Amino acid sequence: MEGAAPADEFIPAGLASLGIEADEVDLAVMGAVHQMLWPAVLELLALDTEGLEPERCPDLSRAPQ
Amino acid sequence: MTAVLDRGLRAQAAAIAAGEVDPGDLLDAALARIEERNPALNAVVETFPERSREMLASAPAGPLRGVPVVIKDEWPLPWRAQRFGAAELMAPTAPGESGPYRALRDAGAVIVGVGNMHELGAGSTGNTSFYGPARNPWDTERCPGGSSSGPAASVAARLVAGAVGADGLGSVRFPAAYCGLTGLKPTFARSAMEGHHMAPITNLIVSGPLCADAADCRLLGSVLCGEELAAGDATGLRIGIVRDTVSEDVTPEVREACDAAIEALRGESGGEVREVSLPDLEAATLAAILIINSESMNGVTPERLNRLHPELSAVARGLFKYRMLLPAAATVQATRVRTLMRRRLAALFEDVDVIAWPTVPAPAPPLEQPMVELPSGNLGADQANVRGAALANLTGIPSISMPVGLSGEGLPIALQLQAAWGRDELLLDAAEALERANGRRWVESLPPLAQASPTEV
Repeated sequence: MEGAAPADEFIPAGLASLGIEADEVDLAVMGAVHQMLWPAVLELLALDTEGLEPERCPDLSRAPQ
Repeated sequence: MTAVLDRGLRAQAAAIAAGEVDPGDLLDAALARIEERNPALNAVVETFPERSREMLASAPAGPLRGVPVVIKDEWPLPWRAQRFGAAELMAPTAPGESGPYRALRDAGAVIVGVGNMHELGAGSTGNTSFYGPARNPWDTERCPGGSSSGPAASVAARLVAGAVGADGLGSVRFPAAYCGLTGLKPTFARSAMEGHHMAPITNLIVSGPLCADAADCRLLGSVLCGEELAAGDATGLRIGIVRDTVSEDVTPEVREACDAAIEALRGESGGEVREVSLPDLEAATLAAILIINSESMNGVTPERLNRLHPELSAVARGLFKYRMLLPAAATVQATRVRTLMRRRLAALFEDVDVIAWPTVPAPAPPLEQPMVELPSGNLGADQANVRGAALANLTGIPSISMPVGLSGEGLPIALQLQAAWGRDELLLDAAEALERANGRRWVESLPPLAQASPTEV
């Protein structure tokens, strides 16, 4: 699994595409969060759930049907 | 004689019902104690004596008639909109009758104050809030836990005997653990949530009680759930333990205390301990984080993010903006992981009644630097804590945290039990069994700040 995508590329590009302004402090916080979260996000996306039948409108107050 | 204010929730209710104490005097004593002890804690961010007296004057003869309680800054009251511990919320708020308010009012309780909380509910420490950090009564330089920081600190310091918190990712259980209390995260949708600004969209957040012991949690939990969480029997309890990060990457003191508690619970219940397998807990944790992140972005637009309140913390501002960049496919995958874990739990609860592991991997860290030293290295408390809490929120199962020891520094250590959907009562039964097993030693331990008691009633 690859490490975090470089925050100095991903974050400014993403913010610019959405028209979101950010100062240096925002970028520092986002960089730290990215460093921590992104590898796990990639691992989650790589998790094989192909054969998993989705729960339709799950009632989280009860066991799954 | 122990001051009535120092007694538990059910003892206060019984003293009022028996005519042993005047509820007006008890309310005055609670307000006086808040004035006396709260400056060191910042647990209660607002009192409203006239409103409290009005509640008392019209209190029905319910199970909590005349008993003072604190409610987290997460629900509106008829005279006050919630602030969520923040300079601003993304959702509109207004004063009103929330579900927990109605439940407390109809039970005869008197809301004596609003409890501080971690800003926007987004932290396990309570060290960040629009009102300033709440402090832990066991050591005021330590985190009280979050996000229900003020409710927990209020009960631990005996400002009140019961408080209402909310748990979206451990937010009742973390402060219960750090403050030496019992805290219940009910089964999803079982407890009152109406009026919460995220109630229409959340799949994770529930209201829950924070009290000194399990019987008080049963009482306040029953009020919040609108039905009796009847006492039963934990005899023959089948306790599942998971050998994974949640139980292994914890401090030696936490591991020792929790292992001893599990063994004591097994002995008291005449049950058994079984090692069980629950793969993909890390994926489940991230799945819960992604889902609650997406819920918190309800109504948020790029334009809105360009005019955030300047008094929002730097972390909150950065987090809001970062959440806009998370891929939708990851959130969809998170819902698939939720299904996966729900099915695994359903199968697991055929073989065991409860799953046990430490609520948090280390006792309360310093407010100034909330890091914990674990076998795997130094970790931010939020990152470490969420690993043990997220599963219950992701899947909807109930969970309880209870005190099981004190660290060498005199800080509470806590064990968490989780059970199948709707088995909240069993968790309370098990917690009471554990209290019996250890002679109620830990639920009756008081922090230094709560030991001096000039406020007599």
